[in-house]
Amino acid sequence: MTLLKSPLHDVHVELKASFGEFASWQMPLTYTSGIKEHLAVRENAGIFDISHMGRIIVKGDESLTFLQKLVPKDLSEVPPGYMSGPTAFLNENAGFKDDVMLYNMGNKWLIVCNAVNREKILGWLNHWKTKWGANVEIKDETFNIAMLALQGPNSAKYMEEIGLNTVLDLQMLQFKTNVESKYGALFLVSRSGWTGEDGFEILGKPEVVGRIFKELVEKGVTPAGLAARDTLRLEMGFVLYGHDIDENITPIEARYWVWTPGKKGYVGYEALIKKLKKGVDRIRIGLKMKKKVKAIPREGDKIVIEGVEVGTITSGNYSPTLKRGIAMGYINSRHALIGLGVEVNIRGRFYPGKLSDFPLYKKG
Amino acid sequence: MSEIRVLGEYVVLTDRRYTETDEWVKVEGDIVIVGVTDYAQKKLKDIVGVVFEEPGKKVSKGDVVAELESIKSRGEIYAPVAGEIVEVNTRLEEEPDLINSDPYGEGWLVKIKPNNISDVEKLLTPEQYAKHIEKREKS
Repeated sequence: MTLLKSPLHDVHVELKASFGEFASWQMPLTYTSGIKEHLAVRENAGIFDISHMGRIIVKGDESLTFLQKLVPKDLSEVPPGYMSGPTAFLNENAGFKDDVMLYNMGNKWLIVCNAVNREKILGWLNHWKTKWGANVEIKDETFNIAMLALQGPNSAKYMEEIGLNTVLDLQMLQFKTNVESKYGALFLVSRSGWTGEDGFEILGKPEVVGRIFKELVEKGVTPAGLAARDTLRLEMGFVLYGHDIDENITPIEARYWVWTPGKKGYVGYEALIKKLKKGVDRIRIGLKMKKKVKAIPREGDKIVIEGVEVGTITSGNYSPTLKRGIAMGYINSRHALIGLGVEVNIRGRFYPGKLSDFPLYKKG
Repeated sequence: MSEIRVLGEYVVLTDRRYTETDEWVKVEGDIVIVGVTDYAQKKLKDIVGVVFEEPGKKVSKGDVVAELESIKSRGEIYAPVAGEIVEVNTRLEEEPDLINSDPYGEGWLVKIKPNNISDVEKLLTPEQYAKHIEKREKS
């Protein structure tokens, strides 16, 4: 299978990135070191190419009512020029089709979905469009628009340095469209990200976005790959589709607040309410290893209490900020006791850690 | 010390032997020192932890003697020859990044007393290992 490449691929080659496969895309994993890139985002600023993420536009008079029937968050509470915050498409059992971000662009909605789910979500949207006879137009813009994430406490300073002054007053989850840059107009700039830091996401034509990427690097922003992106999101307790959530996990077990209480009538609603009433057998929880432990918990490793297996790790890695292994996973809800000392079975050996709530890393 | 530079990037030293699984082996008297190659550390990057088997343990060729944790993945280090683990580099428990910064020196992993020191001669020569890297990089 030929891997998809970012439109900014040549920029990454020039920066000597080492590449890896992610959801059928060949993307930069690191440029120098995942740890250095991670710390740059926490302390200064890093720039990620996230063009592999899906970008789908839904337009037409019925786009709001159409999407309202597909996501559990009440989109009527999202004003034009704002993002919905994380929400999801659920299947009829309330399992995750995908977790997504929706942008209210006034006469249309932009959906940013996970790379691994782009084709599935396009199919899902078209399925309901046909079934309901909805008067909406669904267009995949993934390959026409590139996407960057500038992340870190000094992000705004760097945006100012490259002349993007008009976006500095954006609030979190707010965006502007048709933003002028010295290389041409950008499709959209939002104040958002996936690292727990301040930052901006920049969408536009590949040639414009590529030049912005390069200029930010010249100004001192660290180019950062998907390895750092993964450890950053893990420290914050953000889920990664296909690892921490999937079609068999509901937002309740994931403790992922993608729904508006009181909203009714969307796909997955009945199953979600039924599950809410009944309660869940397992829930998602964080975990920090003792600092002296050199083994790192990884996906599939088991959480053990007094010799009894009570949970499974779904994502784990080394935390460059906390300097120890951290993880998230699912644990029997009867054992989901924050602060409880547990062991993780890593290749047949048992290492101490404790259950922790999210975020696993808190600033300051 | 002379070296081969593979594809302009990966250093292979000529004073030791190698395995197909990217360990290096250097004879020192009647023991061998084992580590991972420059190629392996460049692939793993960001090594953040090492877990060793206990000194005193008898190992067969191919048994795991240590596990390396990196940001990217978990890697296993195999015994290149049968013998007994006589020492592990405990300094790496605090400074695992020595494997990245000095894979052929301070970043050594374990010392093994081989059952048969001549087993080392069956391992890859530097030239053979250099070709082995090249083959994988070009595939």
